[in-house]
Amino acid sequence: MLFRQAGIFHTDYSADRALFPIPADRWMIGSLLLLALAAPLYMNTLYLSSYLLPWLVWTAGALGLNLILGWAGQFHLGYAAVMGIGAYAAVHASRAGIPWEIAIVLAGITAAVIGSVFAFAALRVKGLYLALSTLALQFVMDWTISHVPAISGGTQATLQAPDIRLLGWAVTSDAGLYYVALVWCVLVTSFMLNLRRTALGRALVAVREKDYAAAVIGVNSFYFKLVAFATSSFIGGVTGAILVGTFYHAVTPEQFSVDVSIQALAMVIVGGLGSIIGSYFGAAFILLMPGVMNSFISWAATKFGFSLGIETLAHLPQAFYGALIIGFLLIEPLGLGKIYNNIRDYLLVWPFGYTKK
Amino acid sequence: MKLLSILAGLALALFNVMPAAAADSVRFALCYDLSKAYTFVSPQIAQAARDYADLLNAKGGLEGHPIELIVQDHGNEPQRGIECYERLKREGVMVFDMLSTPVSRAVLPRIMKDGNILIQSLVGRGDAVDGNVFKWVFPIGPTYWGQAANDIEYIKQKSGGTLKGVKVAFFYIDYPFGQEPIGILKTLAQKEGFELQLVPYPLPGNDQASAWTQIRRLNPDWIVSWSLSNMHVIASREMKRNGISIEKYIAVNWLNEVDIKNIGPDVAKGLKRGTNVAGGSNQPLVQEILKELYDKNKGNGDRKFTEDVYYNTGLAIYSIAFEGVRLAIKKDGWPLTPGKIKNGLESLKNYDANGLIAPITVTTQDHGGGGKTRIEMWDGGKWVPQTDWIAGFQDDVWSVVKEQSADYAKSETQK
Repeated sequence: MLFRQAGIFHTDYSADRALFPIPADRWMIGSLLLLALAAPLYMNTLYLSSYLLPWLVWTAGALGLNLILGWAGQFHLGYAAVMGIGAYAAVHASRAGIPWEIAIVLAGITAAVIGSVFAFAALRVKGLYLALSTLALQFVMDWTISHVPAISGGTQATLQAPDIRLLGWAVTSDAGLYYVALVWCVLVTSFMLNLRRTALGRALVAVREKDYAAAVIGVNSFYFKLVAFATSSFIGGVTGAILVGTFYHAVTPEQFSVDVSIQALAMVIVGGLGSIIGSYFGAAFILLMPGVMNSFISWAATKFGFSLGIETLAHLPQAFYGALIIGFLLIEPLGLGKIYNNIRDYLLVWPFGYTKK
Repeated sequence: MKLLSILAGLALALFNVMPAAAADSVRFALCYDLSKAYTFVSPQIAQAARDYADLLNAKGGLEGHPIELIVQDHGNEPQRGIECYERLKREGVMVFDMLSTPVSRAVLPRIMKDGNILIQSLVGRGDAVDGNVFKWVFPIGPTYWGQAANDIEYIKQKSGGTLKGVKVAFFYIDYPFGQEPIGILKTLAQKEGFELQLVPYPLPGNDQASAWTQIRRLNPDWIVSWSLSNMHVIASREMKRNGISIEKYIAVNWLNEVDIKNIGPDVAKGLKRGTNVAGGSNQPLVQEILKELYDKNKGNGDRKFTEDVYYNTGLAIYSIAFEGVRLAIKKDGWPLTPGKIKNGLESLKNYDANGLIAPITVTTQDHGGGGKTRIEMWDGGKWVPQTDWIAGFQDDVWSVVKEQSADYAKSETQK
């Protein structure tokens, strides 16, 4: 139906290896991008600044985590700490007068350096043990931030972030901040899309599938794990910096606590390991669903006139939200991205449901 | 596919639901943590706020305008707190209360930029009492610095007017909430010549064994404790184990009747706490609410919560907020603006909510209202005040406040 493949013949390698070989995909991506670009024109500022913007930033974060989790297959329970390192680095740098464009790169580099130093130690172990040692990264960071006033900004543990300045222009409007987030999200997405097609991406997948099998075919698994850690930490660091610059406007330790790490992990797992569109879905689900559920249930309560205590009203959405996560993972253990892919696969051959995919 | 379109339709419906509001009511946003870390206090405070609003509404509201409270859960997540703020701000709400330190910190930049009122009694940045810098923030009540200073003032009174040679242990949970008073305590220790020992214990506060061994070795005259609810219960157990008298223990205001029950009302005899509200349901305001609402089955929650000191804390916060807004309407007329509410709150003078709270006087400089607290002692059945409402070492407290707020002001100019 949508994805007509009839008549698509690739006559050269570059066409065959294009990111989106099917025109329907290109159309969809193109129109989504246009919609995203025009969002400030038709969307009210509440949705723009409180839903769309954090969603985009968190999607970039989820993609970064997906690189290490979905591509390289290494557990990371301290991703929020990595983002926090970036956020603190960027805020300190720009408070010291370094232009914001450079500050976010510094943020990425700081996060990458600390992240990979940690990885050096952490990567000596595998699986659950690695998960635990990355959790240690989280706690070490939490402790350091709350005990070093020079980092946290004194007893109040809050550092006000200077406004974002791009080439000297202060970005303060909702639309401006939204575009910053959009650009970063698109950049990370295209990096991840292209990663699949590179030697690095294939090496990472080889490491994920079986690291000593990868070693047998000449892929240095330790080196590639380290690269994955560094790259994903870089993305995490910059994302943290952008999150603070565009959304929080002040950095505090709780914004990057262990709960947030678990949330980021949930985004990737609910979205789908190694799935790019899944990261979008996962971030939307984990980030926005509790609030949406909340307003839906209080709306339903007033609409249908059942009076609930405020505590019940607060806990009910959580129950539904939990049930939804379980439900989705039961339907498709590979995440929301896989659900999308199933639908797409079905439509690819529609109406011939029996055709081999 | 059908499922997908249903889902999409549902999603649209979900995004578009918002309650409509009456135009002439005064609206307050209570974006509270009703499901995670603050649940030990938020239900009681919200219940008190709603009860008091009902009571006032029955009498005609604030100068004829009914009070409307919007209570919403943010689960102590900064992101959801911001969402709550951004949504309600666009619906015309001007007064916000987050009742959570992380969330208050997270919305503060937006509050300052938009010029809306943030009530942040007992949570958030302490230096926000500096009204010259934090124009829109009203942390009415004591700061933790002020509370600590008042505790020291009490100890000074008990030790006959001098602190020379007195040993004070500061026992605290090792994260920003507990670390906050350290600076002021150090300053006071130097000035007054008492011996200060810092005794931190780690999150989540269940393991205090080593901290108490340390205290036993030091054998202090007083123990000032910055802990939350159940941590006090654990502390009492460890004190028993180490043979330390509970009478030496001065808790921060976060200790309520539930904790006393868990410690055991008899065992807790002699325990002290600093507070800015009078505890117990024998207060005139609480009695009125009981008579007008709960006796007629119109209360906003379980009646037993009204005996909780956090219920009184909620009444304190909202009696102040409502009175401030009432003054604003009386002085500057309807319709309200955040500026008018600010003026209203800043014209509160010696307001004590019928004896429920320490009398507060809010000025443009002092958004804390004077920061008075008193020390109460549990006598086995009720709380007995040990002091008047006091605010000790104000110069030292304010120099800490000024130092911190100047740092914030500097970061604002860097923008």
